[in-house]
Amino acid sequence: MKYNVVGYFLSEGFRNVFKNKKSTFSCLGVMCATMLMFGLFFAIGQNITHMVENIEDSQAIRVFANIDTSEEDLERMKAEIESIEGVEPGIKLVTPEEAYNEMKERLGDKQDAMDILEPSIFSYSYVITLSDLDLNDSIQEQIMKLDNIKRITSSNQTIRALSVIGKWVRIVTGVLLAILIVISIFIISNTIKLTVHARRKEISIMKYVGATNSFVRTPFVIEGVIIGIMSSVISLLFVGGAYNWCANRMRLSETIQTIGVNILSFNELFAQIIMVYVILGVGIGIIGSAISMRKYLDV
Amino acid sequence: MIEFKNVSKIYSTGTEAVHGATFVIEKGDFAFLVGQSGSGKSTLIKLILKEEEPTEGTIIINGKDTTFLKPSRVPYLRRSMGVVFQDFRLLPDKTVYDNVAFAMNIVKAAPRHIRRQVPMVLSLVGLSSKAKAYPEELSGGEQQRVALARALVNNPSMIIADEPTGNLDPETAWEIMTLLNEINLRGTTVVIATHAKDIVDAMKKRVIEIEKGIIIRDDRKGGYSK
Repeated sequence: MKYNVVGYFLSEGFRNVFKNKKSTFSCLGVMCATMLMFGLFFAIGQNITHMVENIEDSQAIRVFANIDTSEEDLERMKAEIESIEGVEPGIKLVTPEEAYNEMKERLGDKQDAMDILEPSIFSYSYVITLSDLDLNDSIQEQIMKLDNIKRITSSNQTIRALSVIGKWVRIVTGVLLAILIVISIFIISNTIKLTVHARRKEISIMKYVGATNSFVRTPFVIEGVIIGIMSSVISLLFVGGAYNWCANRMRLSETIQTIGVNILSFNELFAQIIMVYVILGVGIGIIGSAISMRKYLDV
Repeated sequence: MIEFKNVSKIYSTGTEAVHGATFVIEKGDFAFLVGQSGSGKSTLIKLILKEEEPTEGTIIINGKDTTFLKPSRVPYLRRSMGVVFQDFRLLPDKTVYDNVAFAMNIVKAAPRHIRRQVPMVLSLVGLSSKAKAYPEELSGGEQQRVALARALVNNPSMIIADEPTGNLDPETAWEIMTLLNEINLRGTTVVIATHAKDIVDAMKKRVIEIEKGIIIRDDRKGGYSK
């Protein structure tokens, strides 16, 4: 393709965008709404997935021994736990001193409260990592049958709850995105249809002079793509700004700090969001403008 | 060269606009298509431009049977013709120069070629001084000259004009016809559908008369009517 043709397509595409300001604004509005909705649900979904992964990576099960359990019994307990199917070998022993310090750290600036306590009130415990999370219940049952077991704590329920929430957020994101994409394509194709209708005379002249359908269509497709890219940039700025603001406030929240949840930074979401935005913007732009052209090319 | 072999056209409404049309317009010919309104002149033009498909018969343009031409090939057929309409069909937001250059952009001509060819064609139609003007700043005759320049700019082998003088006063109409005659003298085939009796009578060119869709006369040097 010769340079002047590319230049012609681009200049016509840009001319359409800025000439039809009202329709450009309505297209931008709809596409930005679609992308902002997607960005919101995507960010929530990604954070939930990240939380689940974090919790899965950390202590899946913690087994506390009775206070007066001897070192010999603890060794035996370790061997017995490690022999259970689904338990990763090399389980870690947490001494009462370590448990005491762990608690102090968790309390943050209120750790002075720990001064009145002695490490000896904490039990020895084992941190067990599971090779398969589904075996959690049966493993817990088997451990409870062992001697000197005081109690077991498990993050299994939290993981399950988060997994369910994460799954639903992903489903809602998908359904919402599909609906918004259809609405966007409909509105964009109608908006571009108005532009095309206003320029039907020009299109018919082009056809009489010997323009191919793709030559007639390309400037309108470029118009759609330009609007798509503009929507992507605007949405990215909005989502990035809003996300960082919310994430910073959440990170400062005591509840979040106490739970130990790590909120993802926007940079970690950026690559995926921009990819989806560009595909969405360009895709909706192309499909929307292509649909609107069909009727007018038959000259 | 345009050849119609027993061509008929029946529209979906059931109207038979053309019936059994057979004629040959050789390369370099100048032919008028005459007849009353609704006689089928415009349908003949549309069939040549491949805007309509014949219901029956064969149409050969420049030696190529276009009857079953694929829609994707139609633009390439049209590039061998320059088309002029009664209502000029200029783009109001483009200058005279851009209206003509637009036809060259469509055939993906090189910028250098466009810069050389457009002023040449504008000079041919006598509009060099109006290159920067917009259509609304021009008279009807000048607008039709721009349309003619646009039709000529890609060096087509034929000019197809549908009532090119229909919106012009007699004097301006003569100017346009004189210009078309000059173009024909340079070797371009010219086919004009017209109602302009005085002009047809005065020019003594080939006349194909159509009445109710049937070609009733094909005179080498005829007048508007027998």
